[in-house]
Amino acid sequence: MIEICNLTRKFGSFEAVSNLSLTVLPGELFCFLGPNGAGKTTTIKILTGLLRPTSGTTRICGLDMQIDPIAVKKLIGYIPDMPFLYERLTATEFFQFTADLYEVPQNKVPLLCDESFRLFGLLDCRNVLIKELSHGMRQRLIYASTFLHNPQVLFIDEPLVGLDPYSIRLIKDLLMEKARAGMTIFLTTHILAVAEDIADRIGIISKGKLIAMGTLKELLALNNECKNLEDIFLHLTENDN
Amino acid sequence: MAAFSSLIKKNRYQLINLHRIIKAQSSFKIVFTLCFALFFEVGLFWLFLDGFNFLHRMGGVGLIIISKLFDIFFLGMGFMLIVSSIVSSYSTIYRSDEIPFLLTRPFSISQIVLYKFFESTGLSSWAFFFIIIPFICAYGYHENMSAAFVVWNFLFSIPFLITCSGIGTVITIIIVRWIPLGRYLRIPGIGIAVIAAWFLIHELLKYRSITTESDLNLSMLLPGFTLASNPLLPSYWISEGIMLLTGGQWLNGVMFGIMITSTSMVICISIEWVGQKIFHEGWQRLTNGSSINERAPVMLWWLQNILLVFPSDIRAIVMKDIRTFFRDPVQWSQALIFFGLLALYFSNLRTFRYHTFPENWRNTIAFLNVFSVSAVICSLGARFIYPQLSLEGQGFWILGLSPARMSRILLTKFFLALSCMLLVSTSLMFLSARMLNAAPIVVVVAILLVCSISAVVCGLSTGLGAIYLDISQKNPAAIVSGFGGTLNLVLSLCFMLVAIIPFGMIFHLNLLHRMNNHQMYNSLIIAGLWLVVLTVLSIITPLYLGLKTLLRREY
Ligand SMILES: Nc1ncnc2c1ncn2[C@@H]1O[C@H](COP(=O)(O)OP(=O)(O)O)[C@@H](O)[C@H]1O
Ligand SMILES: [Mg+2]
Repeated sequence: MIEICNLTRKFGSFEAVSNLSLTVLPGELFCFLGPNGAGKTTTIKILTGLLRPTSGTTRICGLDMQIDPIAVKKLIGYIPDMPFLYERLTATEFFQFTADLYEVPQNKVPLLCDESFRLFGLLDCRNVLIKELSHGMRQRLIYASTFLHNPQVLFIDEPLVGLDPYSIRLIKDLLMEKARAGMTIFLTTHILAVAEDIADRIGIISKGKLIAMGTLKELLALNNECKNLEDIFLHLTENDN
Repeated sequence: MAAFSSLIKKNRYQLINLHRIIKAQSSFKIVFTLCFALFFEVGLFWLFLDGFNFLHRMGGVGLIIISKLFDIFFLGMGFMLIVSSIVSSYSTIYRSDEIPFLLTRPFSISQIVLYKFFESTGLSSWAFFFIIIPFICAYGYHENMSAAFVVWNFLFSIPFLITCSGIGTVITIIIVRWIPLGRYLRIPGIGIAVIAAWFLIHELLKYRSITTESDLNLSMLLPGFTLASNPLLPSYWISEGIMLLTGGQWLNGVMFGIMITSTSMVICISIEWVGQKIFHEGWQRLTNGSSINERAPVMLWWLQNILLVFPSDIRAIVMKDIRTFFRDPVQWSQALIFFGLLALYFSNLRTFRYHTFPENWRNTIAFLNVFSVSAVICSLGARFIYPQLSLEGQGFWILGLSPARMSRILLTKFFLALSCMLLVSTSLMFLSARMLNAAPIVVVVAILLVCSISAVVCGLSTGLGAIYLDISQKNPAAIVSGFGGTLNLVLSLCFMLVAIIPFGMIFHLNLLHRMNNHQMYNSLIIAGLWLVVLTVLSIITPLYLGLKTLLRREY
């Protein structure tokens, strides 16, 4: 579903991502772990077409972002770590805006809006300007509008930062449910507990290089002196910090 | 005071960082910018000089105008500075993300306001110097002044700048604190407004009744004359002081200097005071201003439905832009000020009773009117259209991620701007041409000209807005006064001159009987074709270049 092949990205002479290759299978929930500044956000931005690779290719559903961006963009959804939304639209208007951008038929929008606002507990905020929403509510709104066009592949950058336990539970359940229903999910995090809880497979990146990959069991088997993911993570990335 | 100096130090760090950023940019861009600025200054210098020579040759009235011009220039500058400061201090002082940060640090509120005031003054000052330098040089050169003239100008300009900008800032702070009026203030407020309006109308009527009796006299042409030499106005102190000092009358000149300097200090003190007393309240009002229950979940639902005929991605962008515009007081309040000034201009057209002039005069004035309407279009473009892509801001990732093509997004912005612009410009032109009672052919040509200029201004502003995209800047005042904004304004004005002058020449030659009517129509057609080619080129080129930059960008 997602194929990354020898991906390199430089900022000036600094290599934020170097020679990264990995594959994510359909319906898989892939967790991309790494310390701060490891290159997670950069990788995800390249995959979603917001940044261009210095070299290497990325393919999503067999389509190359550099060659056929529009087709790819219809298939993917992206939730950035610090999403900026149009501050002066109400939640409902933002939902409508996204629906229009992704060409969802107008007559279906009110129903979809009701449904997903109910799911995300946004019903009380439907006529509130986005700039007046709290961080958690914004995050819920952006999930609601991202699922609107039913992306086949979802990229999420640091999904749980700054959320309360209710929201965290809501989002964790949602992601697992979507993955079970066939959505491919690529998420980055540095919160190890999340990866342990929900990931099908885990990749660990440090200083732009992929240093480990596999299911939790495989990783534990490879590093047999480690008892849990935290140990593995600290052990693998310790020489770098 | 230590806290305050830390703010200044922060700005110094920012400057150093800016220096680093500039160094990282291509030297071509820097050289181009510098050359362009120089070219612009020299061009403006020649233009002013030419104007002075023209007035000089005119004799009589012209000579009187020249002698008064210096007063009028500073009066006009002062007025513009106050208006622009009202606008820019609102976005700089109230809208800045820095305010919440600063409020939680150990600064007193008056320090914050004063600091933001200087920032906003700085923003408007460089455009000010950009314009006054060529004017001063041309005036000094024409009147054979010594070099000291320029130095005195510079020295007087600074307190003048602070005074005018400060007046604007105080007005802004007061407006934000009390308008929209609360329950108890509403009735007296409306009362005062009604009395003021009545007074204004009364004055206008008085003025008109004088002008009906006398013919074309000087005070009619330039009502600013008497006002400009009113000794109570700071602008008069400046022009007088500079003249006296240049003429060697030290004592009187220095007195004017002291007057303006002390005024600027009083203004600073009053900003500090107003800042301490009422800034925080106003800021609170702004940030908690909205009441959740009153708002409908979707604004302008009917428009959304009308736009169903368009593809949905276009509708999405249009609706978002319209809603954002109406919810953003920075934007619509500026539009209001702008149209207020326009209304003033039109009331002037009426009071001068141009429609009673002989026909050839009327046509000339109608053409001058094309210039002023086009200048309005250019400044609308510079102020409202140019920043629209940058104001998209950090939200660009949403568009960058969506399946909508960049070219469609850009064209949507262009056509949205164009349709609003055409609505304003053609109705303005039509109205004013009717008021001036111009010949039908002149009206038709004027409207066509205005359409072409509107289209080019929209194309240029959208294209350059894309080329000089600055998504990290949220303050429209700062976006507009950047290099791209200035370039955009200047190019628009250049196009306006290139477009209008040939037609003006043709009518002028016809008026002087150097060209008969038949020849006139033929040359009008040729000029029209030339205009069409020029218009299409000047729309497509910037849009194409803008699109290429947008596609090359990363978000
Ligand atoms: N636009 C940029 N210009 C220069 N360096 C950048 C830019 N974006 C990211 N970097 C650098 O790339 C590295 C990886 O950043 P990022 O992918 O954001 O890390 P993270 O894994 O924490 O998400 C960091 O060292 C960061 O400083
Ligand atoms: Mg990151």
